[in-house]
Amino acid sequence: MSDGAVPYVDLAAQHRSIRAELLAAIGGVLDSGQFVLGEAVSEFERRFAELCDVPFAVGVNSGTDALILALKAVGVGASDEVITVPNSFVASTTCIRLLGARPVFVDVRTDYNIDPTKITGAITPRTKAILPVHLTGRPCDMAPVLEIAKEHGLHVIEDCAQAVAAEYQGQRVGSFGAVGCFSLHPLKTLNACGDGGMLTTKDPELYERLRIMRNIGLRTRDDCVTWSSNSRLDSIQAAILLVKLRYLDEWTERRRENARYYMSRLGGIPRLQVPTDDPHVKAVYHTFVVQAESRDELRKYLEERGIGSAVHYPVPIHLTTAGRELGYPEWSFPVAEEQARRVLSLPVYPELLQWQLDRVCQTIREFYGVSQA
Amino acid sequence: MATRSSVPDDPGVLRSESGVKVRGMQVKFSYLDRQFEDVDAYLSDVRALVLSGDFTLGSAVTEFERRFAELCRMPYAIGVGSGTDALILSLKILGVGPGDEVVTAPNTFIATVGAIAMTGARPVFADNDESFTVDPTRIEAAITPRTKAIAPVHYTGSVADMPAIMKIARKHGLVVVEDACQSIMAARDGQPVGSWGDTACFSLHPLKNLNVWGDAGVIVTRSAELNQKLRLFRNHGLANRDEVEMFGHNSRLDSLQAVIGNRLITQTEFITTKRIANARQLDEGLADLKEFIRIPPRPENVKHVYHLYVIRVQRRDELLAHLRTNGIDAKVHYPIPVHLQRAAAYLGYEPGDFPVAEEDSRTTITLPAHQHLTGDEIDDMLEQIHSFYLS
Repeated sequence: MSDGAVPYVDLAAQHRSIRAELLAAIGGVLDSGQFVLGEAVSEFERRFAELCDVPFAVGVNSGTDALILALKAVGVGASDEVITVPNSFVASTTCIRLLGARPVFVDVRTDYNIDPTKITGAITPRTKAILPVHLTGRPCDMAPVLEIAKEHGLHVIEDCAQAVAAEYQGQRVGSFGAVGCFSLHPLKTLNACGDGGMLTTKDPELYERLRIMRNIGLRTRDDCVTWSSNSRLDSIQAAILLVKLRYLDEWTERRRENARYYMSRLGGIPRLQVPTDDPHVKAVYHTFVVQAESRDELRKYLEERGIGSAVHYPVPIHLTTAGRELGYPEWSFPVAEEQARRVLSLPVYPELLQWQLDRVCQTIREFYGVSQA
Repeated sequence: MATRSSVPDDPGVLRSESGVKVRGMQVKFSYLDRQFEDVDAYLSDVRALVLSGDFTLGSAVTEFERRFAELCRMPYAIGVGSGTDALILSLKILGVGPGDEVVTAPNTFIATVGAIAMTGARPVFADNDESFTVDPTRIEAAITPRTKAIAPVHYTGSVADMPAIMKIARKHGLVVVEDACQSIMAARDGQPVGSWGDTACFSLHPLKNLNVWGDAGVIVTRSAELNQKLRLFRNHGLANRDEVEMFGHNSRLDSLQAVIGNRLITQTEFITTKRIANARQLDEGLADLKEFIRIPPRPENVKHVYHLYVIRVQRRDELLAHLRTNGIDAKVHYPIPVHLQRAAAYLGYEPGDFPVAEEDSRTTITLPAHQHLTGDEIDDMLEQIHSFYLS
């Protein structure tokens, strides 16, 4: 890229590097004629369970479906309440609404994750579950979340959509709650060439239930034991993911290196807040999110210089058109709402080159009028 | 030793080296190996897609939706994750929910009923008739003040009696969602499936007439408003990247599947014509076994596309075993009618409630009729059935 551009995402770069392997994997599925479930899916499920350090994993059609099925499997339904955060992608709230349950929001901390001290105050007799979101690829502070859940008899469903292989106190996300829900969407750190999702659990009973639920309620071809939707991970996507799984450690390490580089080069800018490394967690940096004064101007400045960035997310869920029905007025969640005005995601994908990282840092310093470190 | 035949028009048949046929599932139900024998064109499209990175609702999906709408002679088609999702999204967007009832047939794949239950509504059954589709005269009796919708199933690739069903729907102010998952290209009185209801739902599952390489589905509608709402509803309710208009599902037709679909859709006419011809050959070949076999009525005004070639037979289980032992991959769709599935227990139906569907579950058999069958294979099947009943 001689024009100096730094796109926000570059999927083509990832796929160029493993093209032959990907096409061979797709060809393998084609030769088997097994396009629905079958060996590729089972194999990927085994590997994914290993990756998350749990005994069971179930492939589904998307991260959103993973959340819906998980909540349903633990019995969340109409008139229940589920505690979650308002600063996530809308799907972590949608899944609750689609079951007829009510999302109850609590504010977040500076790390963009649920503030455990706010949870107890949000619990009512109707609360059935807590749905913490490991946003940006950084695990939530799970110890207090689990303690509160235990004390009040609540299920914990982890939204791990952005956090494959992230760790909290040395333990992988998706292994803390009753069920972990992952997305394998093309923009995720472990990404299919289309929609895909995964469920993880340690509970054999939930595992059995989830397997049946993702396959129209069928225990066998002819025995339908519960009504359910059709939400299967495509065999072709599973084969593609098996290839990518080989590179996941390497890719994740590169993301973490890129993040560390940003932190070292951007750390001293007074009007910019960068994430900090916490020794108790291993963040996988699905996104590298800074908080910037004059965010929109900075974004424009970068864009004019060929540097892509994104905002995750500009409107907190309770203030979207759909979310207004929940009745939360503005400033209900001051931390999340303030962050929505300031957050900016910088490119952090593994294929970034050193000069691209340098250019991003240099341009940001330039914008803020800070001399080169 | 058996090897794959080198005869070009007969690639799947096992033959001994001396050229004499040996037994071992020659007449298969699945034809995917034959259909995708020449895969280079498909793979080159897939290669281009993988390198483009355009995996979510990109140009391949838009193109497929345009062609699918054209194929169905409808203004709008919306690609979704599966035929089941097509039904769920349709029913929900039409306002079906908890407290409502939806009337459908008990002789369908469970997903029809699962979809109704997923909206929170209660499935209510009306028995099917000789043609394997819902008996319109039974629908009216199933209607209550809570009935919100009728979901007729164009089962096996036939077409339900839509003029009669629409009359009932209008009279009672009900919405209609056509389950056309098995019946792409089917028509009644020249009018295509999918053109009667508020929406119609198609499946592109690998075993369907128009099939892709995984789960996928399509909704068609003539309503511009429903088209717009369904586009939001299948994509998180997102009006654009940042504006959430409604809480929606994630149920998108994968671009990868759309790429396959774009190539296959050009063959739909061939697939349909060949299946109809195969069915006719089977009908004719079985006509002399009237004592043992009941072929469903074949009214001239119905264009049946034979996703499944289903007949009613005597000693079904014995015939099934005989055919399978002799290398013919016959099946039963389905041995348990939906109202008697465990999942339906809470609805309180009992054996005897739907005599036609129940009788069908004991007497029907499905013979391969797919577009890659050869004339020899059909002859072989007919021979096996004759020898079973006549010797």
